[in-house]
Parts: sequence; C-alpha cells; structure tokens
Amino acid sequence: MSKFLLLAFRNVFRNRRRTLMTLLMVGGGVAGLLLVGGFFAFMFRGLRESTIRNGLGHIQIFTAEHFQRDEVHVLDTGISDWQHVASSVRTGKHVRGVAPRIEFYGMLSNGVKSSVFMGSAVQPEIERSMGFSPRLASGNDLNSSSNGEVEALVGTGVARSMNVKVGDGLTILSVTADGALNGLDVQIVGLVNTGFKDLDDRYLRITLPSAQRLLQSDRVTNLVVGLDNTDNTDAVAAELAPQLRGLSQPMVEKKWIELAAYYKQVRTLFSGIFLFLGVIVFFMVLMATVNTLLMAMFERTREIGTMLAMGTPRTWIVALFMVEATLTGLFGAVAGVIGGNLLGMLLNVSGLHLPPPPGTDVPMAFRVLHVPALMIGSSLMVVVSLALASILPAIRASRLQIAEALAHV
Amino acid sequence: MIPTVALVHVDAVTRRFPLDHNEVIALDHTSLRVERGEFLAIAGPSGSGKSTLLNLIGCIDKPTSGRILIDGVDTGTLSPVQLTDLRRKKIGFVFQTFNLIPVFTAAENVEFPLLIQGLSPAERRTRVTEALESVGLAGRAHQRPDLLSGGERQRVAVARAIVHRPALVLADEPTANLDTRNATQLIELMRGLNQRLGLTFIFSTHDQRLLEHTPRIVRLTDGQVVSDSFAKGDVHEQVSAACIS
Repeated sequence: MSKFLLLAFRNVFRNRRRTLMTLLMVGGGVAGLLLVGGFFAFMFRGLRESTIRNGLGHIQIFTAEHFQRDEVHVLDTGISDWQHVASSVRTGKHVRGVAPRIEFYGMLSNGVKSSVFMGSAVQPEIERSMGFSPRLASGNDLNSSSNGEVEALVGTGVARSMNVKVGDGLTILSVTADGALNGLDVQIVGLVNTGFKDLDDRYLRITLPSAQRLLQSDRVTNLVVGLDNTDNTDAVAAELAPQLRGLSQPMVEKKWIELAAYYKQVRTLFSGIFLFLGVIVFFMVLMATVNTLLMAMFERTREIGTMLAMGTPRTWIVALFMVEATLTGLFGAVAGVIGGNLLGMLLNVSGLHLPPPPGTDVPMAFRVLHVPALMIGSSLMVVVSLALASILPAIRASRLQIAEALAHV
Repeated sequence: MIPTVALVHVDAVTRRFPLDHNEVIALDHTSLRVERGEFLAIAGPSGSGKSTLLNLIGCIDKPTSGRILIDGVDTGTLSPVQLTDLRRKKIGFVFQTFNLIPVFTAAENVEFPLLIQGLSPAERRTRVTEALESVGLAGRAHQRPDLLSGGERQRVAVARAIVHRPALVLADEPTANLDTRNATQLIELMRGLNQRLGLTFIFSTHDQRLLEHTPRIVRLTDGQVVSDSFAKGDVHEQVSAACIS
C-alpha cells in the first residue's frame, strides 16, 4: 500500500508546471472562501456583540404572561418582585450582572415640536458594569446619583429632529400603569449613536427610578442578564431554567438569539451568499481538474497499458487516479489555508474600512477571522471536488484497451 | 507416450482489424505450439503480424477466430478478471520502448509485479535483489529510468518481466531501440535466463543478426507462418508452413 501511495505521490509532481497551476487554482479557491467566510464571520461576530451590547444582553427574563397577552397598560405584565429574582440570578456562574429594564413609549416635546419615542429605563451603573454602555456621540452617560434634574439620553436623530443638544431640556409624556397621562421634564446629558438610523430617530433613555415615577409603578419589564462570554449563553440558560420555574410569579427566559431577529436575517442572507460562492468554487475546481486529469491520463496512456498488461487490476488504476487527485486536493487545501490565513493577516493589519452599511452611519472595519471550522470545511470541499473530478478520467483510464494503449504514441 | 500440454498453443488463429471500410488481416489461420523452456524468436518484416501474435499470446488482445491456450487453458473462455490474473501470474512482458514507470527507481519498477501479487515487503526485497543481480544491475537499483542507458533500461524491463517467476516471458522487439552491442547482450542475457531458470521466452525481431544463436525461429509473412526452424548445431532446419499446419 505504501508503494502504491508513493507512486500516486510521485505522479502528482510529475508535471510540476501543471501541478503548480492546479494547486494555485485549488489553493486560490480555498483562500478565497477563507477570506470571504472569515470576513462574514467577523461581520456576524461584530453584529452579534453589538446586538448584545446595544442592550439586548445575553439572556432576558420576562414574566410568562408577557408572551401570553398584550399589555392593557404599561407594565401590567411586568416583574413585580424583580429585586429578588435579580439577586438570585446574579449568583450564577459566568453572570456579570443583572440589569432591570423598563421598555416604554410616549411623546417627547421641546415646547414647539413633539415626536414619538421608544424609551428604555435602566440602572446606569449596573449597565456600565455589564459593558452595556450606550455609544455616546456627545455628552455623558446617565448618573443615578444626580440630584435635581432628571437626566436623559436621546438619539442623534431625536436631537436633530427636535433641534436640541446636550444641556437642553425636554418634556416626556407617557401613560401610567393605571392608564393616566403623566409628564416628566428631563435634561439631556448625552446624545447616542446606536449605529442604526431608525433607532436613533426614536431613542430615549432615562434612569429606572425616573421611569417608575413617570409610569407610577415599581415593576420592571424584564431583567437583562449579562455574561462574561457569549459562548456561555446556552450553559447559563440551562442552569437558570429550573431556578425560574420555582418562583411565585411564573417566569421565562429568552436567549439573545431568540430575540435578535435582525441578526438572524443578516446571518441567513450572508450564509446563502457564502453557499453560492462555495458552489461556484466547487464547480470551477471540478471543471478545471477534470481537464487536467484527462490530460494526465492521455499522456500516461502507454504506462497505464503497461500496468494493465502486467496484470494490474483495473480497480487499482481507478484508485491510483483518485488518490492522485485527492493528494492534489490535500496539497491545494494546505496551500489555500496557509495562503488564505496569511492574506487575511495582511488585510487585518492594513486597517481597511468599508463604507457604512445601509441603516447605519458608522464605517465598517474590514477584518478577516481565522475560523477553524471554515478551514476544515473549505479543505474538505476541494478534496471531495477533486476526488469527484477524478472519477471520469480514472474510469476512462481503467477501461483502456491494453493493446491500443501500448501502441499509443 | 503421454502427450504433454504445450505451454502455448495457438490454434488456427485469425485476427482482423477494421480499417475505414475495409479490414486488415493481421494473422490468418496461424497455428503454433511452444513447449516449456523454449527460447523462440518470431521473425518477419514490419506488418507481418509479429506484435499481434505476441499480443494474443499475452492475452492483451482477443482473436477474431481460433483459440489460444496457455498451459492448457483456453483463454477465450476466461473472464476479464481471470485474464488479468493469468497475466499477473504466468506472463512477463518486455516492450520495445522499455515502458518503465518513470517516477519509480529501477528496483521499484522491478518490484511492481510483486506488489500487485500482494507479496510481503521482505519477500519483495529479496526477489527484487535477485532479479536485478541476474541482469547485472544490482548497483543501479536506486536509479530512476531517465538516468539509465537504453541497454540498462531494457535489462531492468527484463528483470521486471522475470521477477515474479512467470511461466512465459514475451518480448516484443526488445532490441529495436538498442545498438548492436546492447542488442546482442540483451539476447544473450535472455538466453542465459532461459537456460539457467528454465523460463520460456518468446520474442519478436526483424534483426537477422540476432537470430543466429536462437534455437527456434518462427517466420511470419502477411500474417501466416511461412517457416518454423529448429537449430541443429549451428544450422537451422527449416520446416515448411505446410508441415506445421
């Protein structure tokens, strides 16, 4: 068997120029897939982390009722004994913090103009400790301990629309938990740029006590759990589930992926694009190597005839060609993985940026992640492509008429 | 006296090849018996059917009509796999253009027939050494064919043909690509192996000088055996085609 592999190995490098061209093509295909896939992986990771850090968190805890019916009044499906739940969850492994939130909506007014807002109320110190600080375009983050004025962060779109800046005041109007209308004067301490224009045009954030005062309720909408690492989400969620089931108010948990609809859409779209690219590369490699292998078979016709005359089983000839193609695929894959990673490193240190994607106004960094699964997948893909490409030439070679093959010039 | 089974029995074999809208008759009702241990030359001009006859005896071509029996077995009744098996075990080939595998060394080329027979590495090593020694190329075992002279390459091909101890060695114009000195040496080498190991050799040639010391010469013309001569001392005794058939 080792001599047979040795023969296949030496045959691969018999026509060095042709082998080099094949390796370049195969390696180029692998490197191309690694670069595109690595960039997509970077994009997915960036989108995932920004989705989480923009406030989604890793896990969110709601009352079970929250998903069973629409709220008649704000917070009527909220968590009442949230301090107890938060302290219980906070003791878990990998948990960096638990942040209570209130999601509410209403109107903003500067006295001249009114605008709709989508508000969230937070405990800023806890949010900061969990790394969920908003991306400030100007000003400062909220401060719970401030005296007097109620502090607020608004989106850059809101500021532009309402013609306000840091230090200016606004009035927020909302319906309380009892269904009455209530108002609160706030002072803008910072402008936020979330990266999503539509969100920036409606964004408002105030402290939790301020929102509870506005909404006349001590409940919260949900608890946002922040973890030390996104990869621990599943493990922590599994640990939390029994704890939550044992509480007096039925609770449910949602992992970030269940709540990140936009992330899932983007991922599905780009995965489809990547699959399409993979199919193109697969067929390019397949077509080009069929041609190369047919040429090799033609050149070695007399040699194959000699081997068959000596009594070599025809299955050996098929196996020989397939092993040669598989070895070529392996060498090409190794070259592609090395080349793709080196090129990726070069691109990463070059500091390239792409124009802002639609819906955002922040230029996107161009980075390529080195994803082991992608390297293995791309390598397997080209090895399988070459093995498949070799079937036709291998069968043709094995079916040669011996006398004719020996007379081949 | 019990009649012995001939190693090779060519029985009224015809081989026609289609050519455009016509047919070329390469062999025409040819018959021949070759006994074990013979050293036989098939002579004749180009196109006389020498290579076709060797191809048919070597089971790498099939007759249009007639029978080829190897060791008493009618090759026409064998399946392709059985024919492959027969070639692997009983026949060794030497070709005009040597046909060595260029990416293998001389020793690896000689080892190949043993490899496809599934012999153990130790057994293969022993046999390869013996075969290369028998052709005087033990010192060139690790050279690739492109570094060997024409004569050396053909000796490697002979070693490859005998290494698996076949009953029959077929050599199609083995000296055609060699100069006179190397050609004579090769024929002497094959004759020596024939006498020393009892191997049966059938080779084709159109070089008259190489036939002088060949004990049996079958002459072909236009696909028919025109003479079959056996050496008696230094003189070949001619047997007419009519007598043979």
